[in-house]
Amino acid sequence: MATTNNKITASQPEMGLALNRRGFLVRALGGLSLGFFLPEAGHFFDLQAADPPPQQLANAYIRIFPDNTVTLLFGGCEMGQGTKTGLAQILAEELFVEWNQVKVEQSLVDPIVTYGTGGSSGVSRRYDRLRNAGAAARELLILAAMDKTGDTNRNNYRAQSATVVYTGPNAVSPGVWTYGVLAAAAALKTVPADLRLTNPANFRLIGKPLSRVDIPSKTDGSAIYGIDVWFPDMVFAAIKHCPTIGGVMATLPATPRGALAVVPCKASDTRGAITAGSVNAVAVVATDTWTAKNLANSLSVSWTLPASTAGVDSAAILAQAQSLMASGAGVLVAEPVPPTGYTPATYAPVIEGQVNSAMGTPTIDSTYSLPYVAHATMEVLNCSVKFAFNAAGAPASCEIWAPNQNATSVTTYAAAASGLLPAAIKVNTTYLGGGLGRKIEQDYVSQAVQVALVVKRPVKLTWMREEDFTHDQYRPMALVNVKAKLSGSNITAWAYRTVTPSISQQRGRLAAGAIDSQAVECARNLPYNLGTHVVEWVPSPAGIPVGYWRSVGASIHVFAVESFIDELAKSANVDPFTFRYSLLTDLPDNRARNVLAAADAMSLTWRNSLPAGRAWGVAIGEAFGTWVCEVVEISAPTATSITVHRVNCAVDCGMAINPNSVEAQMQGGIVHGLNATLWGQTTFTAGKANQKNFNVNRMLRLNEMPQITVKIVQSSTTAPTGTGEPGVPPVAAAVGNAYARLTGKRQRSLPFFPGAVMGGI
Amino acid sequence: MNITLNVNGQNKQVAVPSLDMPLLWVLRDIMGLTGTKYGCGIEVCGACTVIIDNQREHACVFNVGSAVGKKITTIEGLSAPGTQSHPVQKAWIDNQVPQCGYCQPGMIMACEAARRAGHHGTEILSELKHLCVCGTYQRIREAVKTL
Ligand code: FES
Ligand code: FES
Repeated sequence: MATTNNKITASQPEMGLALNRRGFLVRALGGLSLGFFLPEAGHFFDLQAADPPPQQLANAYIRIFPDNTVTLLFGGCEMGQGTKTGLAQILAEELFVEWNQVKVEQSLVDPIVTYGTGGSSGVSRRYDRLRNAGAAARELLILAAMDKTGDTNRNNYRAQSATVVYTGPNAVSPGVWTYGVLAAAAALKTVPADLRLTNPANFRLIGKPLSRVDIPSKTDGSAIYGIDVWFPDMVFAAIKHCPTIGGVMATLPATPRGALAVVPCKASDTRGAITAGSVNAVAVVATDTWTAKNLANSLSVSWTLPASTAGVDSAAILAQAQSLMASGAGVLVAEPVPPTGYTPATYAPVIEGQVNSAMGTPTIDSTYSLPYVAHATMEVLNCSVKFAFNAAGAPASCEIWAPNQNATSVTTYAAAASGLLPAAIKVNTTYLGGGLGRKIEQDYVSQAVQVALVVKRPVKLTWMREEDFTHDQYRPMALVNVKAKLSGSNITAWAYRTVTPSISQQRGRLAAGAIDSQAVECARNLPYNLGTHVVEWVPSPAGIPVGYWRSVGASIHVFAVESFIDELAKSANVDPFTFRYSLLTDLPDNRARNVLAAADAMSLTWRNSLPAGRAWGVAIGEAFGTWVCEVVEISAPTATSITVHRVNCAVDCGMAINPNSVEAQMQGGIVHGLNATLWGQTTFTAGKANQKNFNVNRMLRLNEMPQITVKIVQSSTTAPTGTGEPGVPPVAAAVGNAYARLTGKRQRSLPFFPGAVMGGI
Repeated sequence: MNITLNVNGQNKQVAVPSLDMPLLWVLRDIMGLTGTKYGCGIEVCGACTVIIDNQREHACVFNVGSAVGKKITTIEGLSAPGTQSHPVQKAWIDNQVPQCGYCQPGMIMACEAARRAGHHGTEILSELKHLCVCGTYQRIREAVKTL
């Protein structure tokens, strides 16, 4: 957004607020606080409001009160990625307040402030907008100070520690006003054209490893996650889905002794609409979760299973993918872009002919296989709902508490399930005990609303771990075949084909014959010179529900591409770093080359002096605009595990708003990636997920944690790029490459150690 | 039935449906003490860890009947509300350990139980086997080394 984009629009009808003659939204309700709107279009509004503030005030990014407290409103979700802190740093920087003067508050659902958290966008896509919001607020406060001095020369003022300081010639004493004193008057001013954005060289807060605002409450039990929402008069529900995917309830069982109710829950589609007749779960309601889940476990429900059940099976799905891979039926060209006159389907034979003639006999032809993977957020899915009913007993309004990655969508689902208008629904986003992409979906919200409507009491619905693991919307399986021709250490031809289900297609959001960019994420636009090449996608029609799993398509294709690159390097008898350098064509910004060089330098000494029994491997990947290169050291492969001693991680995430958070996200992303590399998968037998709890979904424990060193590379990009997900993708290939170096055996299937189990603590 | 539980130094009367009810759900659903978390229910993750008579226990499988007459400490009882003044809490904050934070009450309580047994630093580490899906292990390691 341009820094001077501060024109005032004439209307903002959904706000229902009047405009003053300067085009500002003003609420003269006592002048106790000041808020600013900065809608998507980049226009500013401000408003005054009384105490208690009207709902609209909570829409603003910034609230300044007469006691000089500054509150920044947060419209995303905090699931551990540090967004709440990062956004506050950006606003506080341009507002010129000290870090300890800032309070960050979670916003209610609002069309301006609220956003869905996904795609590693929490901070990166809000950077410009929030800098402008902070700067606009600061300039309005300075305009208010001008009224006190009569001096309109902006250069005679500076903002500092939530005050405006006058340095001009007029006699004013003391010449310093707190923002609190100026706030009410500032609300009546017009945002000037020049926002005087701070020169990044002078940043006080952005780029500093500040302590996260949410951490203290996460050490004493006071942080409230969705599952912690509690009222004395609350009842508790446990969900019981049809264990078989696609099954629906045949008859509603009687309410067992000890239960308050058994509520049939209809399935919702991915826009929240509940499907008539499709009761795929029942909720057992009791006075506590333990009683509810025990009764749910022993409740016998008869389900009607779909005819397709037998085919919803991991072995059958893999066989189907293999046959699609071989036949090429339904193949779509994702790269290069089909010329005019061709579609992704009709272009296939043309480009394949060109690649085949450049390829001849491939130097290497490898197939990689990846499984469905559950999200396994530490906090299971849950949602609390409280309805208010009118005299006639009909629902009048409702309040929802949900750990969610998309509060606006919570409203949509709740409206669809309750028949209420969105305005009658209040959504509270709690802390999330991990999101990982699962809490973008709102199936659990729809269910909780349906239950609360029936029991007419505040209710918390919980998915016990077994339900959470077996009714996920999984990271899609994928089969990838890559063929390439080498000439010396150059690639002259490259044919990449993947068979994988499309999340968008499964949700009816992809036009027939179109490419789902996530299905080929990181398979195209590679930084390497691939010669004559083609990237193809064959949509898999498999019926397992799929969803967004931390790093999405990158988690699939970086594994295949970077494993294959190492296979080629070995064939060319060239060092994996050297081989990559020679292929890189990512000019002019060189971000891939820079992270590769940084990881090379970090690991150079140790990787060239490894003792026998140890080996290293490297991989590089881009996700959500951020480049990451990881070098791992491993040893001691057994039938169920391997020791990962260290990971050197070089990252170019553009402007690193908070290096402390960037480091944490790389550490966390690497662990997430390692879990999926070594053990993570969900398999299906006759429509049922097999892995029901952590004991059969092995994960890294503390004693298995490698030592991770993170280097944030000075970027040629000045805006921030994503950090929540990009740490994940490279690690699988890096470990696989090290494994091949150590054992001579190439791991082409994830996970490397399927079926590993985890003992108790 | 009514029982008396000693939680964080205070005796509380609690009505429970059964003495077999795991302490986890008594704390969370009946008493509204939600700092102790549910993660797996089968003693694999450690999120539900509390201290009972100075011993680390997994509240998801610890029957409330067995907790009667004993001293129960939960994450809420480590320090005065809002102070985060306990040494383990301070180490966690100094090292910026939590990400989502959901596993951390269990981690912190297990760490504190090890300290009460007279263990320090790397001794404690070898006893901390809880799951952290966010992968905060490296910072936990750094924090525990200072204890
Ligand atoms: S909930 Fe008790 S160990 Fe996981
Ligand atoms: S901090 Fe999220 S699971 Fe440990």
